[in-house]
Amino acid sequence: MAASIPEERVERLHDLAREAAREGADDRARSYVRRARRVAERHRLGLPTRFKRFTCDDCDAYLVPGRNARVRTQDGAVVVTCDCGTHARYPYD
Amino acid sequence: MHPTTLPRHELAGLHVEVVESRNADLVGIAGDVVDETMQTLVVAGASGSKQVPKAAATFRFRLGGGEAQCASERASGRGPRAERVIVDGERLVARPARRTETTTPNKWR
Ligand SMILES: [Zn+2]
Repeated sequence: MAASIPEERVERLHDLAREAAREGADDRARSYVRRARRVAERHRLGLPTRFKRFTCDDCDAYLVPGRNARVRTQDGAVVVTCDCGTHARYPYD
Repeated sequence: MHPTTLPRHELAGLHVEVVESRNADLVGIAGDVVDETMQTLVVAGASGSKQVPKAAATFRFRLGGGEAQCASERASGRGPRAERVIVDGERLVARPARRTETTTPNKWR
């Protein structure tokens, strides 16, 4: 079955946010990330894992490792640190 | 994305041109949509970003190929070919995340 419009929209906003973040347009990326979250919330959709791993829970930045995020492994988990200082820990997949 | 779903879809990243407006200054503004508010579209063209009131304009969006395709369409390779879609701006007046929620034809249709 084809993806629903809200699902497609979240995917597209993810792509747009990544592109904007890579170009250094952080605020534009942030606005795409926030809109994707809002669309998902209103339609009671989960966000794709990829989206969750590459966005900051606290400041909604789209994370580009090496540019605005640090990625380290620590005690069996991946720790992603956003430029705003927020850490996120993920288990190895 | 499909011409019929465009008013409910994400507009950022699409190429757009203002083809008609009560305000002559707006006609001809063209570029990529970079952001959106309830009442306006922010269009990045050759001469910088312009904020265009949705209600005052008729837009022509370019659909198809590359950016205009959804992930599912890219994956299946069955997305639409390049197409122009003309939309009365009145139909786009709504908070950006809210547009997707309208399931029935809205009152501006
Ligand atoms: Zn952050």
